[in-house]
Amino acid sequence: MAKSPAPKGKDNFTRNIVIAVVVGVALIMIVPTVLSSRTNTSAAIPASVSAERGYGIVYNEELTGVPVIDIYQDFQCGVCAQFETLQGGYIESLIAEKKATVVYHTLSFLGPESVNAANAAACSADQDQYLNFQRTLYSNMPAERNAGGWSNDLLAIIGGAAGITAPEFAECVKKGDYLGWVSNAAAAGAKANVNSTPTVFINGKEIDRDGEYFDIAKFRAAVERG
Amino acid sequence: MTRYFPWVALLARLILGGTMVAAGYLKIDELDKSQMAVRSFELLPIGLANFLGIFLPFFELAVGLLLIVGAATRVSAALIGLLMIAFIIGIIQAWARGLSIDCGCFGGGGPVEPGTANYTTPLLRDFGLLALAIYLFYLPQSKFALDRHSSSSESTGE
Repeated sequence: MAKSPAPKGKDNFTRNIVIAVVVGVALIMIVPTVLSSRTNTSAAIPASVSAERGYGIVYNEELTGVPVIDIYQDFQCGVCAQFETLQGGYIESLIAEKKATVVYHTLSFLGPESVNAANAAACSADQDQYLNFQRTLYSNMPAERNAGGWSNDLLAIIGGAAGITAPEFAECVKKGDYLGWVSNAAAAGAKANVNSTPTVFINGKEIDRDGEYFDIAKFRAAVERG
Repeated sequence: MTRYFPWVALLARLILGGTMVAAGYLKIDELDKSQMAVRSFELLPIGLANFLGIFLPFFELAVGLLLIVGAATRVSAALIGLLMIAFIIGIIQAWARGLSIDCGCFGGGGPVEPGTANYTTPLLRDFGLLALAIYLFYLPQSKFALDRHSSSSESTGE
């Protein structure tokens, strides 16, 4: 504003106060937001989660010489449910037969109930029931997002339907024990430049969005190619 | 003729400021998506894109508010003008490279189904907003503003 000096008799007090307040409040809001988007290394994580692998839930971590499949998904994403329905059985067989390392990344950008579901998924991993729970989640996905379908109470019940009976599970879901982990997983997804779900990387490289996600034969070929 | 300029500037301030406030406000709830929207332009390093995804909504809100109350009109208009030029470059390069993305201009954003990306509307809008910003930069004097400009905008530096 160097070129608009205050004319005689009028002072700029109100204007300067307003500018200072607006800029000040913006800064006060930005700084903690930027800081909180960083990884919180002290957040609780389930035993099967690997911080080195972008806070994903890892199966067959110990294997070498097998393809590494990274799956980024959101439990409120309808296309993710279709992907799971089509390829989930094959991926689970790779896990069971120790033919691949599989890393599930639970992103949560579709809203607060995605956060609830991701937290609950981490709780189910503590009970060694993650795959069961994931399957049950996808087959019970509410038609409308963030409309109460995945409240923590209902997620605890879905866990029961998936065969998780331990009271610690419901406790963990309702208390949000792994919320810190959920935001770490989201930050890791952002760092990995994941811009939609599902996103599948095989050995660190995204598979072809035009054909390999929803074609059983092509997906297998992509996995076997490594 | 020139006596209408302050009224035109008032209108420009309200349109430009209101658009900025709306754009910022709609993103502040879902900063994850805002970060994704910036990333999906595939123009900036990931770290910078993620930072901008958080920074831009607050910035838009702040300069929009300043414009609406007419404080620091000239500086705000200049900042928004530069932002619009950056957006225009981002959209044109995405279009030219054949990316299928939503600009995320008012929240949302990220990849869309191939062939459904709409680049014309955001481009026209951003050019229009850029024109308003340029007008306010050169003729910032306006009605109902906190800024006290000297009575004639030409006689600057007195």
